[in-house]
Amino acid sequence: MPTPKLLSAYQPSPSTWDEMLLDGNIRQQYQIFFESLRKSSITDLARKDELAKKLFMSQGITFTVYSDGEGIEKIFPFDIIPRIITAAEWAHIESGIKQRLKALNLFLKDIYHEQAILRDNVIPSALIHTCSNFLKEMVGVDVPFGIYTHISGIDLIRDSDGSFYVLEDNLRTPSGVSYMLENRNMTYRIFPGLLPQNNVRSIKDYPDLLLKNLMALSNRQTSNPTVVLLTPGIFNSAYFEHTTLARLMGVELVEGKDLVVSDAKVYMKTTAGLKQVDVIYRRVDDEFLDPLVFNPNSMLGVSGLYYAYRKGNVAIINAPGNGVADDKAVYTYVPQMIKYYLNEEPILKTVPTYYMDNREHFDLVFGQVRKMVIKKTNESGGYGMLMGHAASDQQIADYKVEVEKNPRQFIAQPMIQLSSVPCFINNQVQPRHVDLRPFALYGPSGIEIVPGGLTRVALREGSLVVNSSQGGGSKDTWVLG
Amino acid sequence: MLSRVADSVFWMARYLERSDNLLRLLRTDYIASQDELLDYDWQLLATQFGNPAQPLKGSAYRDALHYLVVSREHEHSVFNNIVRVRENARSVQDYITKELWQSLNDFYHRIRDPQTETFIAKQDPVTAFDILLRESIVFYGTVDVTMNRGEGYTFLNLGKYMERCLQCLDILEFKRKQMEKTDQASVQWKYLLYALSGYEFHTKYYKNALQVEEVIHQVLYNLQFPHSAGYCLAQMDRYFQRLLPVSKAEYFNEIAGLISEMNQSIQAYQHQNPIVAIEKLIPDLRSKLFYFNQRLATLYFGYS
Repeated sequence: MPTPKLLSAYQPSPSTWDEMLLDGNIRQQYQIFFESLRKSSITDLARKDELAKKLFMSQGITFTVYSDGEGIEKIFPFDIIPRIITAAEWAHIESGIKQRLKALNLFLKDIYHEQAILRDNVIPSALIHTCSNFLKEMVGVDVPFGIYTHISGIDLIRDSDGSFYVLEDNLRTPSGVSYMLENRNMTYRIFPGLLPQNNVRSIKDYPDLLLKNLMALSNRQTSNPTVVLLTPGIFNSAYFEHTTLARLMGVELVEGKDLVVSDAKVYMKTTAGLKQVDVIYRRVDDEFLDPLVFNPNSMLGVSGLYYAYRKGNVAIINAPGNGVADDKAVYTYVPQMIKYYLNEEPILKTVPTYYMDNREHFDLVFGQVRKMVIKKTNESGGYGMLMGHAASDQQIADYKVEVEKNPRQFIAQPMIQLSSVPCFINNQVQPRHVDLRPFALYGPSGIEIVPGGLTRVALREGSLVVNSSQGGGSKDTWVLG
Repeated sequence: MLSRVADSVFWMARYLERSDNLLRLLRTDYIASQDELLDYDWQLLATQFGNPAQPLKGSAYRDALHYLVVSREHEHSVFNNIVRVRENARSVQDYITKELWQSLNDFYHRIRDPQTETFIAKQDPVTAFDILLRESIVFYGTVDVTMNRGEGYTFLNLGKYMERCLQCLDILEFKRKQMEKTDQASVQWKYLLYALSGYEFHTKYYKNALQVEEVIHQVLYNLQFPHSAGYCLAQMDRYFQRLLPVSKAEYFNEIAGLISEMNQSIQAYQHQNPIVAIEKLIPDLRSKLFYFNQRLATLYFGYS
């Protein structure tokens, strides 16, 4: 057992799956790590915490908050204690995500071509036709190798019995992978020696795998295609991630103004004139990609880009129109998709979902609203959400009015507890709730998932909201070999 | 390389060099004002190096130092220059090395540190200058050790030497104005050399008591002195030649022609009376440098 002092404040809620403790004993996967922690004092941990903060600050892994006209540099909260996942748990997660992505990808191909799944009444047509993320411009468009979801982040949570649920599929421009990489870089600085001692699997390959996939998508007959990463620019909250990935892959980081379309081909403006671009890993949303086709006011995109894409002269990653597959109302049909396209049973569970445009569901949800989470179907980042257990009566009443105005825009799910892990907060080891976002890469040679992901932490005691915009932080995620 | 990236690297180097030169001048003149130049005119300094649209309020040395170094409001302060250096670096963060980005990020955090402002406003300003100048030396060292010698390195050096040349002219002009107002001309020539980190070199190279002609020779024409206008122009030529294989021929020829013209004109001035020469040379060279920058932006950085 660890020194009582170190774990004196560690009291996970009995209704929660704790990833470190089982009946007061440390689980196998945490034992080597905690054995080494036993040798350190709270002061040592506080020093490590301080070192991590300093390293993030000096490396400029920060975001700027503007107040009184002057920017203040803040770091994304990082918790020093790693979250540990066993090899068996990972094998389950990995196979579940691969299965899910195969089905989602087939669904996208189907929905933008034959729509067999609608004709066979597996998914109600109305659900798709009322989905604001269904991109009619993509109907009939053949994408390279039939792949839509090249880069995805699948959010997983663990219920009180420890089983993994998919909370959300992020199939558009998921972010956070640079934090997965940076968090690992932090760990070997603050816990020297522990990664090899625990046989933690490496995640270093991610940029190489990504580049390999991006290059394979070029349509031009050249051994050295030009790949670029398209960013909205330095004011985007994920800008750090864009620069990190561009640097690690050795590709140009471009803004919309660096690109120009001529004769249905995309070029970048260089010091030696125009140079043709073959593959664009875009971190700009569909809506802003091309002002001629989508939002005409977009300053972030490139006029004519969509035409060049349809002509097959440039690959856009991820494919436009993926929003129809990660819509929160479509989400609930993924198990049916898996059965329909793959004839398999879903490996990962799905959270039961209620539709607010179904009157029975509506009444049921508002009848036990304290046990529910109500979300907007097309929002992410924890925005526009009502957490029933934490809301005031007034907030619930106001939210109900909003839902009634446009019920198709809302779904509800029963509150899931989320598992807890040890965190070092206020000089104590305390339990906090987490989720997990592994990152999957879907290339012409198949789906690959680096063993790990971003563990997001709800830093406030008892909170279940892990989004960084809502007071969440992150920690390193170890998958044991 | 991307035009936008080349532009940002060029300006990153210009702002950094500008900050470095101003800090050296301030350090020198502050020390002089404590010791030898007792009626130091801080207003004159603020006028030459400040933004005319945001003039200095107050006339005390602390006011001027605050205005030129750490002021958030004054657009031409070293603080705001470093913010621009970092913004430019941030927009090319994937292009420059991680070490270089970190050195600039450290510089930024250093100048934002309230302790730096305290040194300037209440304690020993020289400590602040030394801390900040050390950061800029780390920048140059990091460029030298970590950056690849590709196009980016060339544009970085073009920016650096163009700015250094301009600063050399500005500081020379400023010293001339100071001389007009006081009767301590010979001392001012000495401080000119100090401000350009060239006093020790002067004593070794010219082996003579300080003479105006020799000071002017060093500052404008001496090719061994890294802060002379002539040295900077020669370096611009040297670096620009490296772009030949990756440039469009007509772009290359035009810019190479402009640099060559500047190099020729500084050689021509060398044979004239030094005092008369500097009166004509400063405005002439300055306008040629601005034109060079304008054409470089159009041809290489995609400005329209």
